[in-house]
Amino acid sequence: MLNLQPYADPTYFLYLLAALVPLAIGLYFGKRFVTYEILVSLAFIFLIFDEGHYINQGIALIGYSIWQFFLVWGYITYRKKANKAWVFYLAAFLSILPIILVRISGTGLFKPQLSLFGFLGISYLTFRSVGMIIETRDGVTHDFNPIMFLRFMLFMPTLSSGPIDRYSRFAKDAAVAPERSRYIELLGEATKKLFLGFVYKFILSYYFGEIIYPYFQNQAMSDAHHGMLLSWWLIPVAYSYGMYLFFDFAGYSLFALAISYVMGIESPINFNKPYGSKNIKEFWNRWHMSLSFWFRDFVFMRFVFLFLKNKWIKNRNTVSTIAYFVNMLTMGLWHGLTWFYIVYGLMHATGMAVNDAWIRFKRKHKDKIPHNKFTEAFAVVLTFHFVILTFLVFCGFLDTFWFHR
Amino acid sequence: MSDKKKLWQIFGPVLAAFVLLALVFFLPFSLTNYSQKDLKEASVSFSAKIVKGEAVKNAAFSDKKVNYVPFFGSSELSRFDSLHPSVLAEKYNRNYRPFMLGKAGSESMVHFLNMQEMPNGLKKKKAVFVISPQWFTKTGTDAAFDIFYSPLQVVDWLLNLEGNTPSETDQFMAKQVKKESIVKNSSFYNRLLTKVADGQSLSNTDRSALKVKHQVLSRQDALFSRLDSSSSNYKNQVQKDDRPLPKVYSKNALDRIGYDEGEKGTTNNEFHIKNSFYRTRIMPEKGALKGVQKSYDYTQSVEYAYFQSVLETFAKNDTEVEFVITPVNKRWTEYTGLDNDMYQQSVSKIKHQLRSQGFNNIADLSRRGGEDFFMQDTIHIGWRGWLALDQFLNPFLSGSYQAPNYQMNDRFLSTDWQNLKPSEQNVSDFQ
Repeated sequence: MLNLQPYADPTYFLYLLAALVPLAIGLYFGKRFVTYEILVSLAFIFLIFDEGHYINQGIALIGYSIWQFFLVWGYITYRKKANKAWVFYLAAFLSILPIILVRISGTGLFKPQLSLFGFLGISYLTFRSVGMIIETRDGVTHDFNPIMFLRFMLFMPTLSSGPIDRYSRFAKDAAVAPERSRYIELLGEATKKLFLGFVYKFILSYYFGEIIYPYFQNQAMSDAHHGMLLSWWLIPVAYSYGMYLFFDFAGYSLFALAISYVMGIESPINFNKPYGSKNIKEFWNRWHMSLSFWFRDFVFMRFVFLFLKNKWIKNRNTVSTIAYFVNMLTMGLWHGLTWFYIVYGLMHATGMAVNDAWIRFKRKHKDKIPHNKFTEAFAVVLTFHFVILTFLVFCGFLDTFWFHR
Repeated sequence: MSDKKKLWQIFGPVLAAFVLLALVFFLPFSLTNYSQKDLKEASVSFSAKIVKGEAVKNAAFSDKKVNYVPFFGSSELSRFDSLHPSVLAEKYNRNYRPFMLGKAGSESMVHFLNMQEMPNGLKKKKAVFVISPQWFTKTGTDAAFDIFYSPLQVVDWLLNLEGNTPSETDQFMAKQVKKESIVKNSSFYNRLLTKVADGQSLSNTDRSALKVKHQVLSRQDALFSRLDSSSSNYKNQVQKDDRPLPKVYSKNALDRIGYDEGEKGTTNNEFHIKNSFYRTRIMPEKGALKGVQKSYDYTQSVEYAYFQSVLETFAKNDTEVEFVITPVNKRWTEYTGLDNDMYQQSVSKIKHQLRSQGFNNIADLSRRGGEDFFMQDTIHIGWRGWLALDQFLNPFLSGSYQAPNYQMNDRFLSTDWQNLKPSEQNVSDFQ
């Protein structure tokens, strides 16, 4: 049986684009063939999960979708009549319950058999459904449209790794066909993104991830075998992983966007030259953007509003510092329950708090602190190196280096 | 600008790119040119790329100046020291040079596919095949299959089926190869191998498709199997000028050198294992390795059938082969608890499979793992082991080709043979 992992190799694109041709022709002539779109999506999702250990994942995906379907339906129906906070919190909690169970069992601390509920893309689907519940609470989404809900939840191009779209935005695109002039622009964008993605994912990411990074890992491990607690080789390990991660993920995101565009859906962009950021906050506005904006809107802002509204803490700076830690820790934990994801979250939260403090300090002493091309360049270099350091933690190699020699 | 023109601006360059790509693949001139130096380095690079592709193998085995002899094997091939076969052949200017094919993980199935790409290296020629009994685990050791596999191997195999009818061996191997997920996931190869496994001939359409694949894949191979420029074993190991070798070959003098190098190289452990190997591979987990091999069993294995497919390929090409059966380090296996009787039973089973079909050139080193500095580490020969092997290889390879007379027996593919628990009697009785 044919098994196709999303964007894994060039032939995948041949199959996928061939399947999308009728849809594209329809869109060009102002028609959106919804049934055909759903069939193609389902077929390619089926081909991810049709074999071996993937089969369990496919079953988990079906169960998960049913669970979220009834949850969101139920909450939207309830929200039309009432708006109790505890119902909202309960619905949000039930919506993230599956990923919580999968993450906890992933550590092996508790019922490891539950990790069977995990499947490729669970973390991204969670954002889609929780986002819908939050949008409903905020009154952005009013009605439950079962077909549109499933098209959104199971939107194939972004199923496995984002970008993370919002229901209200998606539904607007998906309800109609774009204007012809706009659709032609989208096709042009899609072509560019697709080929840039090939360069990123199949050349650069391969080179950094399969050749350079493992080489430096081996060098570092041989120092580890000699009983050393640190190794100079960890420095190139960090850089090569940082480059690999960017090209792999950005390349993947470019593919997802290109395919979305061909399908006439303008999914949000995910990367905008992140390694050129001048500070850590700007970095998060340019790195994995759909994720950090999601966290900004649905975790950080809500947390800050909650605290200020209830006047639990008066000082705004203190509130936002606490919110950074809550925000980044949640993001760390979302990746998985390991010490290095937690430390990664803490590092970034600290970075953001320090950055805020520095900006306040700078504002007070405007006359004494220079600001010019060179300080900006220095800021870029400093931010980049801080990020690379956090990626060294994030990649988990230190765990192997120290604890699994 | 009209909509049509805009579409052309978008997709025109894409079309042009595909046309250029097609030209690269289908223009009828050669893109490969390997220098003598390239081939020398390739002969000791142990690169998986060479096993995967056909360009380098073709160039080496049809080279006019140097008589490269294929050495099929696995991890032992790369154990360099002063008495390594490539070093001796170079130093004493033998009329052959080993061309090493394989590294850790390349067992019979890998070599069966590897061989399909190099008929000009096998047809009425000599070869050396190094057997590691460690391959012969119950379900075979195919963990490294993906490292060595390339679709080109299957294309060459299927295009060269004798009379376009799959033999018993083809059928058996097609069934096994298509179990590998890397093969199974390609619907084209999966479909063709299913046909072969069922004993059907390939249609003309299939064969035309295979020929197109061959054109594309061999071009891809020629373009991308460029040798790793980083590989410089030939310069650094084979030609190394500070090797203490005497000008004229003398077995006794060389044996002394092997003894001295071995003694100097194994000072940090009681097992006569090379220091660097011991430090990186054994020391960190020495405690955990005690007694760990007690239940290892090489006597019943699907590998016996894979091995038969290799023999079948040699027979098909009338290759004259020297088989080498390697020993294990006795000092080490006493620590890990490997059962020596079991080891010898597997060796006698392998030898029966060879002898009963007319493969009579066997360098059986399997009982010599306890000799001083015969082994370089746990399961790999080195120093005096290499020299002992040279006593078989030199006469065999220096002599002229003798047409062999093989009597192949497909019963060695059967599960009866794979699962036969060997005793002296039942092995020699097996037909």
